[in-house]
Amino acid sequence: MLLALAIAMASAVVIQLGKQPAYHWDIPADFPAPSVPNDNPMSVEKVELGRWLFYDVRLSGNGTMACSTCHMQRLAFTDGRPRSIGSTGELHPRNSMSLVNTAYASRLTWANSLLDRLEDQALTPLLGDNPVEMGMGGREAEVGELLASDPEYRVLARRTFPNDENPYSVLNAVRATAAFVRSIISFDSPYDHYLAGDAGALSESAERGMDLFFSERLECFHCHGGFNFTDSTTHASATVESVGFHNNGLYNLDHSGAYPSDNTGLYDMSGDVRDMGRFKAPSLRNVTLTAPYMHDGSIRTLKEVIDHYARGGRLIESGAQAGDGRLSPYKSEFVVGFELSDQERADLLAFLTALTDESVLTNPRWTNPFEP
Amino acid sequence: MQPVRSVKHPASLFLLASILVASAACSAKKNAVQIPFAATWEGQPINCNRGPYSLSDLRFFVSDLQLIDSNGAFHTVEFIEDDRWQQATVAMVDLENGEASCANGTADTHTRIHGVADISDFTGIRFTVGVPFELNHANPLLAAAPLNDPAMHWHWRSGYKFLRAGVVTESDGTWLHLGSIACNGTVRDIRSCDAPNRIIVELPHFVPSDRVGIDLSALFAGVDLRNGERSDCSSGPAETECAGMFGALGLTFANQPGSVGSVFQVLH
Ligand code: HEC
Ligand code: HEC
Repeated sequence: MLLALAIAMASAVVIQLGKQPAYHWDIPADFPAPSVPNDNPMSVEKVELGRWLFYDVRLSGNGTMACSTCHMQRLAFTDGRPRSIGSTGELHPRNSMSLVNTAYASRLTWANSLLDRLEDQALTPLLGDNPVEMGMGGREAEVGELLASDPEYRVLARRTFPNDENPYSVLNAVRATAAFVRSIISFDSPYDHYLAGDAGALSESAERGMDLFFSERLECFHCHGGFNFTDSTTHASATVESVGFHNNGLYNLDHSGAYPSDNTGLYDMSGDVRDMGRFKAPSLRNVTLTAPYMHDGSIRTLKEVIDHYARGGRLIESGAQAGDGRLSPYKSEFVVGFELSDQERADLLAFLTALTDESVLTNPRWTNPFEP
Repeated sequence: MQPVRSVKHPASLFLLASILVASAACSAKKNAVQIPFAATWEGQPINCNRGPYSLSDLRFFVSDLQLIDSNGAFHTVEFIEDDRWQQATVAMVDLENGEASCANGTADTHTRIHGVADISDFTGIRFTVGVPFELNHANPLLAAAPLNDPAMHWHWRSGYKFLRAGVVTESDGTWLHLGSIACNGTVRDIRSCDAPNRIIVELPHFVPSDRVGIDLSALFAGVDLRNGERSDCSSGPAETECAGMFGALGLTFANQPGSVGSVFQVLH
């Protein structure tokens, strides 16, 4: 690890001045920087400390799980399961989410109107007990002890938080982990190249798919709009807060519009029935890699996602979840249904595929430092 | 204290009044008060060691504890700070010992609240189960004990779990996590909560030798503990199992007002 540390330091040029160098976002000039909370400024050291913590299974109660277990780089930081499984085997009610460009999320997780900081979000997987994810609740002091006792962490924590009397705290571990997640930024997909002026970056089919995506006929852009393909997006120079939660017609239990009781979306937060089934529209960047889809992983492929929107809501014919989502009283008015020719279907799929930034999957800034 | 009518002289009345003011200002709360708590099931003690019904969890926060004197006047109890269970305005009660069916809990227990008040004799008490709003939405990693216990915090809802209670049988079990929901604002800036879910308990006939009983059989009366189906409540509006528990606590659930709370009782 010291070697990796040395490399990280070597790339930070002004370190000799005794001051931490300004953090350099690797972001094309046309895109805004993410907003960063005042009490947790970015630094090269902090992101590096966070990278180790993100991949460290010692941050779980039984030593089996790290953040990376459910957020794998090769899957754009998702886990490939319909619903995640915690360190003690408990099934999470929801599907893991991509962490690429999460730095721009105005609200975090699938349906939470309150959570707006990565520093606060990280406490749930680390300490939560319903469901148990990493299972460190009641043992959080051990996180600070790990920072204090592991020689490499000791050095890194001291460098990262030079002014702290005790840099080896769980709070600092959480800050560093959040800073690492905030550093995972991607603007290198074929679509980004196309926007930057490389007309050949999109195939003709993908170009037609783009027009469909942004059309009033398909309406996708109403919820998946903007540079991060979600309307719940914010950034350092944002002047208005954009937060959106939508019911896209997945369920309609008992003809009442209800969603399964463990996944009612924003309703669980607010208790207002008009919030039934309202979820955050996830970013569609790297969406080819983040299957299965939706908050509960209940749609397996992108083709089926397109069928779902074309129908204007999902029909579940039998069983406990039977109901026609198209007829839900709570469904968004932008999920209207449409007809697509086979060619148009292929075009839309080609466009969604062009949102994948392959470099994210191997970028050494975010790889597992424990693996040589 | 002398009844005022025995004072004949206006000057001494003035003197007495100023003594009263002075003593209220410096050392009014000089009486130590202890309020013990105990868990019961159908009138019998219940603990973490297996029986037909055993405890799986029972931890809660108490604030705004008042003693009621024989004239019906209220006297605030100030909690004695101990850097573990109590700060001045909020105390945590922990009736599980981490053993057997309470394996997810902690070995330490805290069964009685220690405070000071300006009276020592009382005939009733009133308290709130919950964390005061001003303290409820702090960062648990920065808060002072007992508000630094992550098991009692609800990271994704913001705020503390005011009450964690659970029982298990041979083949079944149930639990409740109670806290404020439907909050407005963002995690670092919660402005209000539409469903605060704080319980106000008033026990009008409670004397210094009594204990507060928490009757879990009343709390979970609506739960079928024989069907082998997991039935728990984390205060979410869609959780049908919550209705009975909230009702028993006297809390409104999904616009249904609760009954008169029957869970907190006087144990002589
Ligand atoms: C057991 C699997 C699991 C582990 C471990 C895990 N996560 Fe997650 N993560 C999830 C799931 C599931 C969601 C969606 C949660 C929800 O909506 O309630 C999620 C959501 C997120 C989000 C929100 C993303 C967005 O765009 O809104 C962030 C950020 C995040 N996790 C970061 C972390 C960090 C940091 C860690 C380690 C401290 C971590 N996760 C550990 C499964 C996991
Ligand atoms: C009314 C807003 C809205 C519109 C219009 C909309 N979506 Fe969505 N989309 C959402 C929401 C909300 C979710 C998550 C829903 C859930 O999980 O319950 C979602 C989920 C998805 C997902 C799954 C992503 C993942 O990581 O799980 C894909 C893919 C997707 N939408 C593509 C599209 C396409 C293509 C269109 C246009 C045909 C479209 N959406 C139109 C709101 C919308």
